[in-house]
Amino acid sequence: MAKLKFYHCLLFFLIFNVAFSQNNKISSYDNDTRKDKIDSVIIVGKSKVREINESAYNVVSIDTKLLYNTTLSLTQTLDRISGVKIRETGGVGSDSQISINGFSGKHIKIFMDGMPMEGSGSSFQINNMPVNLADRIEVYKGVVPIEFGADALGGAINIVTKQLRKTYLDVSYTYGSFNTHKSNISLGHTAKNGLVFQLNAYQNYSDNSYKVRTKLLDLQTNNYSTDEYWFRRFHDNYHNEAVIAKVGVVNKSWADKLLVGITLSQEKADIQNANLMKIVYGGKERRAKSIIPTLNYEKKNLIVSNLNFSLTANYNIARNNNTDTLARQYNWNGEYRKKGTKGEGQYSLSEYDNKNALIAVNLNYRLGEKHYFALNNLFSAFVRKATDAAANSETSNASTFMQRTNSKNVLGLSYKFEPNKRWNTSAFFKYYGVNVKGPVNVSTTSTEVYEEREKSFNTNGYGILMTYFLTSSLQIKASFERAYRLPSERELFGDEILETGDVSLKPENSRNINFNISYSNAWNNTHSVYFDMCIMHRDTRDYIRRQIEQRYGGAFYTNHGKVVNAGIDFEARYFYKNKFSAGGNITYQNIRNMEKYDIGGRELIYYKDRMPNVPYFFGNIDANYNIHNLLGKGNVLSFGYNLRYVHSFFRDWESEGGDIIIPMQLSHDLNATYTLKNGKYNISLEIKNITDEILYDNYSLQKPGRSFSVKLRYFFFNNNNK
Amino acid sequence: MNTKTIFKKALLLAFITCNTLIFTSCDNDDNKVKPKTTGSFFLSVSGESAEYIIQTDNLETGNLSIANNSKTLEMSGYTWIFSENPSVAVGLIYQQGDPGIGLGYAVNQDGTLHELGQFQISSRFTSYGFFDKYALTGVGGQTPVDANGNALVDQNGNPRTDGVTFNFIDLENGLALQEKTITTLNITGNGEQATFSGIVDMGNGEFLTGLVVSQPRGADGTGGASSGTITYPDSVWVATFDANLNLKRIYRDDRISYSSGRYRSQYYSQTGKADNGNVYVFSGSFESTTTKPCGALKINKNATTFDPSYYFNIEEKTGGYRFRKVWHITENYFMLELYNDLIVSGLGAATQYGIVNMETKTFSWINGIPSKDQITATGQPLAYEGKMYFPIVTENDDPAIYIIEPANALATKGISISGATNINAAGRLIYK
Repeated sequence: MAKLKFYHCLLFFLIFNVAFSQNNKISSYDNDTRKDKIDSVIIVGKSKVREINESAYNVVSIDTKLLYNTTLSLTQTLDRISGVKIRETGGVGSDSQISINGFSGKHIKIFMDGMPMEGSGSSFQINNMPVNLADRIEVYKGVVPIEFGADALGGAINIVTKQLRKTYLDVSYTYGSFNTHKSNISLGHTAKNGLVFQLNAYQNYSDNSYKVRTKLLDLQTNNYSTDEYWFRRFHDNYHNEAVIAKVGVVNKSWADKLLVGITLSQEKADIQNANLMKIVYGGKERRAKSIIPTLNYEKKNLIVSNLNFSLTANYNIARNNNTDTLARQYNWNGEYRKKGTKGEGQYSLSEYDNKNALIAVNLNYRLGEKHYFALNNLFSAFVRKATDAAANSETSNASTFMQRTNSKNVLGLSYKFEPNKRWNTSAFFKYYGVNVKGPVNVSTTSTEVYEEREKSFNTNGYGILMTYFLTSSLQIKASFERAYRLPSERELFGDEILETGDVSLKPENSRNINFNISYSNAWNNTHSVYFDMCIMHRDTRDYIRRQIEQRYGGAFYTNHGKVVNAGIDFEARYFYKNKFSAGGNITYQNIRNMEKYDIGGRELIYYKDRMPNVPYFFGNIDANYNIHNLLGKGNVLSFGYNLRYVHSFFRDWESEGGDIIIPMQLSHDLNATYTLKNGKYNISLEIKNITDEILYDNYSLQKPGRSFSVKLRYFFFNNNNK
Repeated sequence: MNTKTIFKKALLLAFITCNTLIFTSCDNDDNKVKPKTTGSFFLSVSGESAEYIIQTDNLETGNLSIANNSKTLEMSGYTWIFSENPSVAVGLIYQQGDPGIGLGYAVNQDGTLHELGQFQISSRFTSYGFFDKYALTGVGGQTPVDANGNALVDQNGNPRTDGVTFNFIDLENGLALQEKTITTLNITGNGEQATFSGIVDMGNGEFLTGLVVSQPRGADGTGGASSGTITYPDSVWVATFDANLNLKRIYRDDRISYSSGRYRSQYYSQTGKADNGNVYVFSGSFESTTTKPCGALKINKNATTFDPSYYFNIEEKTGGYRFRKVWHITENYFMLELYNDLIVSGLGAATQYGIVNMETKTFSWINGIPSKDQITATGQPLAYEGKMYFPIVTENDDPAIYIIEPANALATKGISISGATNINAAGRLIYK
């Protein structure tokens, strides 16, 4: 306990000393400071990032270009944002769960350039992508603009990939502990005649052979040891490759931009352990691949001036395989005994095909100088089918192999009033429609008979937001959204074998409120500060829950539950010229079950309990020091430090008497980067988890210990090749 | 200047709020010490987020809170079975696709729980029970392999599915688990294969199990089952095996259908031994194609055939209701779980309960328990000192143990557990 409180205090002092010591200085400086001074320090060049951060949304936009010399993946970058938590189950390629203010899974949506990524397959997901792929990342907390047409209950993340420039080439290679190799090439060229070409390719490879501490299975007795020992992971190889290619034209009379492209990706992952780390595998694998043709068309001033049109279409074809065929049982020493039947767990060669078509259309119109109108429509159709019957195994039934489809249309309308640069306000409306088709058992006897059923469902959501600059340095924002998540086909239908559907389900819904205040200022081009505080409130109801009742025979879905989250997060940052910066953020979210009764009307013992297995208090601190013009003009040597803290939390409802906790996590990373010739050549060294802590984001699933990596990067950029 | 003052105040306020929130919440969360239950009765209890063990010395009255559980389990979904000698609770688990971690517990002299060890269960199981010094689990429908680990295939080259895998968990040897697989192709001489249902210790070094004789499980599966199409729904087979899984004997009859209660991928035991050593083989007549009413046959102690003079047509006594589960209570009394509807379907609800006396061939509905449309869940009952201790959950009340007197089929409500969603099983362990 004492130790925890010490860390609390430490965090607060670090953050608030920075904030308050600078705050004192604020009053001693002249009021006549201008934001653009700080821009050159905080946000190098890119006004788009600032523009988004200063919008009325509770949004954080990260300029990823500042992180190009790090070995971070896109998800690891997100972990440094207040209110956002990433939970990984292991090393490179492991599952990672993103949460925004306590929402995760189906409740948040991830987009790439405005298109949902749900259907793009596990081989093309942001936990594998190098940070160099993106120009910026936008995280919308609680209130999501209509441009992201999805039923996101708790927020959205948008990855904005590299934008077109004249000519560029960015090549990097990383080598690190546990035989990890990562490389990335991105290049683009725009010719004088308007022809453009863009290519991004990346690759990740790792043995993930880090050490874990767990119990050993005796293969003679099948008993676990009482004590824990250290073992090196021996079946956790992962590799992933992806290519994104686009060609097209820009600046034509009929198109400002027309691009066609294709994204190809694949991955293969060995599966080392089950949900409890002591259960170990030696042959289980999963593979995935996806092919995504894309089309993007943009035209400004379509028909009338100030009317901008864009259309984006993706077709995702993704295939996933799970293989468990070895007739063996392994232990953590890598030894095995022979089994009499196929499969370490359950014999499986299952294969699933997902096909997903997406069409997004966006129109926006500016009337005069103060009125902005926008319309966005996203249509998506999703088809899932299990293709290989060989052994989708004992838990499957005939309906497993029948096709399920889900088509969804999300229409958004928004209006923004911006009388001047000091304040603006907007309101939006979203219409969600879904149509599902799937197999349902219609049999009244013990033999199953399936029929295809169809069902439509729709609902409306809305939101309002505003922002006001009290001074040029001080901004306040407020936003609200009534957000929805629609039931899936499985929830509406069930399959009438394992589950009974309920067509009277309501969508899960949430009332999300944000209030932000931020301050930024600079003095004499020497000191500058940035400060942001957000107070948020989420009131989420009608969770769609799976229930099992013996009197009805099987499982069914029902709406039940009310969870309230009142949270606060801070971010503070200080800069001294372009030499030193330090900052941090801290998030506290009080997420409680506010449903008093169970479905039958009994009082719940965990009424007002904190939601289990959700981190509720966490933060980051970072510091950076640059030495300029070292051994040559334009060369920079920089040193960085990063701290990650997550307070311990309960896995189960505390009032139920569950005593399993996920312990407090505190880790430190160090890095050094030497940049030559104004960024043309870069070499970075990183040490992660320098104190070699045993880290867990999830119960029992240990993450890597101390690791080293080196990254080499070449960057060429020319905007004036006329 | 004004805004700056406001800003500074806001900052301070935020700082104080945040600190207060965090430090008070810390105190709330970390300093609760909940007293843990002790006692010889062992209840497996489900909460909303995890499974727990609660102990007590009294099942007859009172209310305990789930918060006072004596143990939080790492995994959820355990099936508990209780051995009398040695006095051990064995927790069996298999998660979909992943092995499970089996548990063994005894109770100390002071009534506290003592973990005997953890073992890995790598194969699914649909049958379980005690045999000799072992806790025994079994599952059919497995793909057997040759010495090199390659699947055995049928004449069409498809992987066979007639493997039956048993786990022998040695209660006298630190819960050491031995996995053994046999094949069942043509086990009954008619070209079919079999899945096993139920385990009855015959007391002579052999155990008896019900056979669900079927065609191979189709590639498209049927309700997650280990068995395929039933070609002979009007026959019953049961078999005995020794500890090395050598087939000792097959009992066959045409008066009832196969002896197994079906629900999704499960095969519930419909065999049981009376106190005098006679074994009753029930059939709930699950298969919609059978012409046989649900009923029971008898194997007299040490007999090598079914008793030709014994047949109990249970269906005519229940008013046409068929049953799914069977438990022995005491002497010749058994408890039945019956379907709520006259027509049986795969997912049909079964929350009606009755008592049969196998000697007098009488059936009585149990009185004093909630009605069939009130029961939302039940648990594995405990037969103890001539009575049945049966966990029942209804919509509006705490899960409770109902104590059933078999002679008059009357039940009274016993202990209840507040905050629990279900009592999964009840058992008794002796202090030692």
